[in-house]
Amino acid sequence: MAELDCDVVVLGSGPGGYSAAFRAADLGLRTVLVERYPVLGGVCLNVGCIPSKALLHTAAVTDAARALADHGIRFGEPKVDLDKLRAFKDKVVGKLTGGLASMAKMRKVTVVQGLGAFTGPNQLAVEGKEKTAVRFAKAIIAAGSQAAKLPFLPEDPRIVDSTGALELKTLPKNMLVIGGGIIGLEMGTVYSTLGTRLDVVEMMDGLMLGADRDLVAVWQKFNAGRFDKVMLKSKTTKAEATKEGIRVSIEGQEPKVYGMVLVSVGRAPNGKKIGAEKAGVMVNERGFIPVDTQMRTNVPHIYAIGDIAGNPMLAHKAVHEGHVAAEAAAGQKSHFDARVVPSVAYTDPEIAWVGAAEDEAKKSGLKVGVAKFPWTASGRAIANARDEGFTKLIFDAESHRLLGGGIVGTGAGDLISELALAVEMGADATDIGKTIHPHPTLGESVGMAAELFEGVCTDMPPQKKKA
Amino acid sequence: MKEVAVPDIGDFKDVEVIEVLVKPGDTIAAEQSLITVETDKATMEIPAPDAGVVKELRIKVGDKVSQGSPILLLEEAGAAASPPKLSAALAAAPAAPKPAPAPAASSAPAAGTEPMTVKVPDIGDFKDIEVIEVLVKRGDTVVKEQSLITLESDKATMEIPSPAAGVVQEIRIKTGDKVSEGAAILVLKMGAGEAAAPVAAAAPAPAAAGTVVVAAPLPPVPMEPREATLAKPHASPSVRKFARELGVDLGRVKGSGPKGRILHGDVQIYVKGALAAVPAAAAAPKGGALPFNLPAWPDVDFAKFGPVEVKPFSRLQKLSGPNLHRNWVSIPHVTQFDEADITDLEAFRKSNTAETEKQGFKLTMLAFMIKACVTALRQHPNFNASLERGGESLVVKKYYNIGVAVDTPEGLVVPVVRDADRKGVFEVARELGEISKLARDKKLKPGDMQGGTFSISSLGGIGGTAFTPIINAPEVAILGVSKSALRPVWDGKAFVPRLMLPLSLSYDHRVIDGAAAARFTAYLASVLGDIRRTLL
Repeated sequence: MAELDCDVVVLGSGPGGYSAAFRAADLGLRTVLVERYPVLGGVCLNVGCIPSKALLHTAAVTDAARALADHGIRFGEPKVDLDKLRAFKDKVVGKLTGGLASMAKMRKVTVVQGLGAFTGPNQLAVEGKEKTAVRFAKAIIAAGSQAAKLPFLPEDPRIVDSTGALELKTLPKNMLVIGGGIIGLEMGTVYSTLGTRLDVVEMMDGLMLGADRDLVAVWQKFNAGRFDKVMLKSKTTKAEATKEGIRVSIEGQEPKVYGMVLVSVGRAPNGKKIGAEKAGVMVNERGFIPVDTQMRTNVPHIYAIGDIAGNPMLAHKAVHEGHVAAEAAAGQKSHFDARVVPSVAYTDPEIAWVGAAEDEAKKSGLKVGVAKFPWTASGRAIANARDEGFTKLIFDAESHRLLGGGIVGTGAGDLISELALAVEMGADATDIGKTIHPHPTLGESVGMAAELFEGVCTDMPPQKKKA
Repeated sequence: MKEVAVPDIGDFKDVEVIEVLVKPGDTIAAEQSLITVETDKATMEIPAPDAGVVKELRIKVGDKVSQGSPILLLEEAGAAASPPKLSAALAAAPAAPKPAPAPAASSAPAAGTEPMTVKVPDIGDFKDIEVIEVLVKRGDTVVKEQSLITLESDKATMEIPSPAAGVVQEIRIKTGDKVSEGAAILVLKMGAGEAAAPVAAAAPAPAAAGTVVVAAPLPPVPMEPREATLAKPHASPSVRKFARELGVDLGRVKGSGPKGRILHGDVQIYVKGALAAVPAAAAAPKGGALPFNLPAWPDVDFAKFGPVEVKPFSRLQKLSGPNLHRNWVSIPHVTQFDEADITDLEAFRKSNTAETEKQGFKLTMLAFMIKACVTALRQHPNFNASLERGGESLVVKKYYNIGVAVDTPEGLVVPVVRDADRKGVFEVARELGEISKLARDKKLKPGDMQGGTFSISSLGGIGGTAFTPIINAPEVAILGVSKSALRPVWDGKAFVPRLMLPLSLSYDHRVIDGAAAARFTAYLASVLGDIRRTLL
């Protein structure tokens, strides 16, 4: 058995894990990165954020090309070469993971491939092609999460999770998305653009919970044509594999046969799969590892970051946590101090939100002021023929400081960063309104929403004077 | 599983926990120190009664504890799985039996569904303190110990923690309110934490073994960044990072930037102020500011001039230093010098030492000093007194507890000989021997150092002709004793050799005037000159 000694071992090479490992190496620590798959990058790069965006971009451009018919530019019906599309997606992934591998080399991070599990408070065993024992002074757990499963579903290649859907093996005639969250609807968008009809079933009373309802309503209206049925507050009770397809029973519905069933009912952290108890690391009943603001677990020399350390399970949160943990492991006084973590649904239109949500703020009695700038008043959105969206800013009613906001519309995910920065900097409505935004852009809508709040916007009908 | 509680620590109540030396999961040995508590006089470490594994802490830094207060839950050694050791690594021995999966969700015993009203706890002598920030709002899920509100007095800001986990149902307080102990803060619906509910539902039946396993509470999880935007200070990420590096709580920093934004420089100014304010704050009497505007302490890199070694102060030194500084700065000291002729007393003492040594203790001059001081204090009651808070009256004590400064390797301690007026010289001498030994063995209890009315600092065994002792506040006088020496004394006809003992009495000039001090020392000298006066 091979043996390795290191200052810090990072378990998992997703965005959080590799960021932690690279940061630790940059701080002069001898770093070992353990990854169970032969490629670095974890779910995000291999079977998550990146490949899904390669497909979503393809879908969005396809839809945009179709929409040009209204502008007098007509293309023929698209011909889909699934193999070529898959190859493009794989090339995108390969480019990024290859880049990671070479950056690990440049930093002299030792990558050990295999399934890692703790065997003691300072030791970890990696089961790969050969066994490796890694002795460490500090450890950073970045073992992520995996798609939650529904126990009553049969094993069948036509029943897939997000990873399976990304493999793009076939294009079914119809598809049932179980779980109307971001991941399911993103994948649904791709298949739908390529020709698949969609049904969605969701147990709760809305799609994309977490985002304000007015944001989701815009998306839902724009995408109504993709769906045959949107079943809310509905429970899937049974599914059987038949020759024709998967026959699914949903409460209150006639059983229906689907060419593909996408299960996207959330993700479960991998806390219980890494031998945490051997190291004395506390894992809660849901599989999360509780940590403090330095990402330290109950065992002071072991840190946990990313999905496994708690919600929201987002790569960009994991990266920041990874840096904090690496710096803390190197003895720095780093803390996870971010006020807000933005969320984005890369659907079409995109939905992005950050900080305080309006629905939530009103429910909890927080005194907020809301300014909503409709994109029907945005020159650029109209020129793009995509003026269905809006930009909403949520301010503290007293200080006028930005608490959060939400944007729905094309490119919303790229616009939300300005709001995140404004929240972090404690900017108020005047700060945002007095910042010159270039014209004509979609980003302009942020400045205009702030002006709207201040009552000084001239791109909208005159406002009633504030009392 | 066993609960370890605070043992008998003497007369003490509500002593503050200043350090928790173990954490859940630690394997500890019997007699290993668990926590450090501190009174105004001393610190004590509380040892573990047994070896075992710490399951749950029931205490935290800042808690006030008394005898019987729970400290932690201990799983006695051998009772269950011990935490893995480094060497146990790859052998991967069959997993030791795990403790039963945590059943009870909330450790709060009163985790019913009844809402509880959270009130301002005992916050010391403060009253009508302003609420400067309300950190939670209706509907928030709070964890135990999460800060609910921030109070600010003229001395400090403090955050009031939640006594339990739950959901905030109603806020009863707002920024700007003045509150005192007992004021209602909010109504908390307990035991409804998001995590708690599913656990409780899924809780398996308690282990058949009969031992009740109480779930260790999870350590604090970082607060969900969402929603918290209002409660946090107005500072950019780079300033927050800078503050973290310096350990500055931004909630206490005043921002000078646009709209009160805290800037990099504000953090620096705060740190400078905090460093300078430590002694000043200690010295500042109630209501009166002492605007010491001193030049900065010289910053010298000593290592530049030769090799140096940095020796950290002992805890005792860290504690006593600020107290001495406070007393020295805030009490107007005057020191009166005198001499006592102890020729006869010394002869008398020597004639009795053989007998006391048979009884197992030393008859020291200090024992006689104590008795002589009591006699002088009876005659001059203002020396056996304390200034009342506010300085408008004098509290004259009708008991005579004499503190004796004892030099130990750790630093200076002042144990007290109680009711010295009711004890004979032998008894005092015996007690002196005992407390000095306790002091050197670090076994003094805080109670042994409280309640003094007057102190004696004797350097007679070492040398010197006089010195200026610092008063042990809130006492008003202290007697310094230097080394006695044979001196020629004019007896009216000739110089005769007499054994003279130098006395240095420091007194609080707010209480005692110079003439009174001169009379006191002269009287004390006369008592020492003829110890029979103690009988009068």
